[in-house]
Amino acid sequence: MKRPLLVCLAGYCLGLVLVSYLRVNFWIILGLGVVVFCLAGFFLKKDYYFVILVFSLAVFLGALNLKSSYLRPKCDLSNFLQYHDDRVYSLSGFVASFPEVKNNCTSFIFRAQSIQRENIKSPCCGSVLVQADFLPDLDYGDNLDLLGSLRRPFSYAAGKSNYKNYLARQGIYFVLPLKSSLQIILEPKKRGFNLSTSLFNLRVKMEAALNRNLAPLPASLVGAMVLGQRRNIPWLVNNAMIKSGTVHILVVSGFNVGIVILVVDLLLKIMRIRRKLRIIINIVCLIIYCFITGATNPVLRATIMGIIYLGAYFFQREPEIYNSWAIAALLILFFNPQQFFDLGFQLSFASVGAIITIYPKLKSFFRVNTCKSKFWRFMGEGGLVSFSAWLGTLGIIAYNFRIITPVTVLANIFIVPLAALITLCGFALIFFGCFCPFLAPFFGLTSALLINLLLQTNAFMIHIPGAYFYL
Amino acid sequence: MLNLTLEEKKVILFLLAVAFCGILLHGLTKLNFRAQQLYAPAANLAQLDLNGISLEALLESRALPEKTARSIIAYRQEHGNFGSLETLKEIKGIGEKRYQQLQGLFFVK
Repeated sequence: MKRPLLVCLAGYCLGLVLVSYLRVNFWIILGLGVVVFCLAGFFLKKDYYFVILVFSLAVFLGALNLKSSYLRPKCDLSNFLQYHDDRVYSLSGFVASFPEVKNNCTSFIFRAQSIQRENIKSPCCGSVLVQADFLPDLDYGDNLDLLGSLRRPFSYAAGKSNYKNYLARQGIYFVLPLKSSLQIILEPKKRGFNLSTSLFNLRVKMEAALNRNLAPLPASLVGAMVLGQRRNIPWLVNNAMIKSGTVHILVVSGFNVGIVILVVDLLLKIMRIRRKLRIIINIVCLIIYCFITGATNPVLRATIMGIIYLGAYFFQREPEIYNSWAIAALLILFFNPQQFFDLGFQLSFASVGAIITIYPKLKSFFRVNTCKSKFWRFMGEGGLVSFSAWLGTLGIIAYNFRIITPVTVLANIFIVPLAALITLCGFALIFFGCFCPFLAPFFGLTSALLINLLLQTNAFMIHIPGAYFYL
Repeated sequence: MLNLTLEEKKVILFLLAVAFCGILLHGLTKLNFRAQQLYAPAANLAQLDLNGISLEALLESRALPEKTARSIIAYRQEHGNFGSLETLKEIKGIGEKRYQQLQGLFFVK
């Protein structure tokens, strides 16, 4: 087998799909898996059968993992509540995410540890999405007692990508709406990880550096591109990006990870640090960056692929892009198999998968390398990368957003290089904003200029006739 | 000396170019205030003009439900241009929560 991990990934994903559509008992899958495992042991010396059995084993592993992710522990909140339950409960626990503020409302994930109704208090477990119609002064790790009635999330759309399933993939099955601050009792002790708090504070400082040196609109876009914080992006801008098929630039992904590697390596090189130590520090920085940006699927994918690449250089081995892509997918799906149905996961892996498989074939087919002019070669390569990614994600976007955007290929040729420059400027702005504030405004002005150019280009693109159409 | 790769040299050059461009913009703005237009995005790129937008454009933007869009345009036709965003609250069907959502969507010249 040339690429064993691709075979395992294909089998694993097939298992996930099968079990999500077929009702099969957990123990039956386990039994079949054990049988296949034993058979694989028998056929160790027969390559052909062994590959088929390994593939089948990956199918069972995926199916089993997804099944087990649906199982909820005995102490889960759902075991204390009826389906339609309007009774008021008192929940004790702690704030497990950083409170997000939007439109004067606050939302955060609350990790419940005990539940009380009337005088009966029981230990419990599970996460609840708290939605407060006011701005409570809360922080990650705060110990709280919350009063209110729990309700199940409402799904606005059919299919696997609806809001209810999105929350379920994060282990959230209940929402607690709060109308008054009297429903929150803050306890003195704090919980949570100190490292998370430190990383959150670092991100807040970085965001403050952006906000000091940029107007709100450019700050929101640079914040999304560099720090993965999309909450302040105006709806219209986001929608315009969807129409031109360039919304992917507002997500932290492989390009950002590449910049982090390049810049950290450059700084360490200037400090004359040895190669192997530089790689180790680079890996640590990548992990920190991944957590600062919220460890979403695209960042996780890019971080894992980046670490594999750095690891290959550390051990002086040739990195293999298909295997590193497959490892990234397998790792994410192993820890949370439900992520397979997450739109971010699908788009991220489909676009990268299409670029690494389709792009080289298109490049050799159109003989881009034979082009003598550097400019046309750059345009040709950019267009083909964009076309490959568009092909890879076309089906997913059409199914989920009901939109087809033929302008994507053209828009990406102009917008992606601009986004790359903005991302680089954003990193520089944050760096100088934190360590050398008097230089930061100059970087801020250039970032704002580029953002303006990007928005104008995008507005022009979506006004081209036939740029996009809704299905 | 430092054994910088080509990419690293490009990064250093880029940073210098960005700083140079920033200084240039800073100087231009001092000389002529209108130079701000170069780097300040136009309001209509991120928001809709509440007094200028037509019903068709509002519906095409898919920014809000059809019923709300129609009530906003009907209100404007009846009472004339909006003096401020706060006036949106006077429209039937737009409460405090909806107003908070609409605030970021529109601007009034």
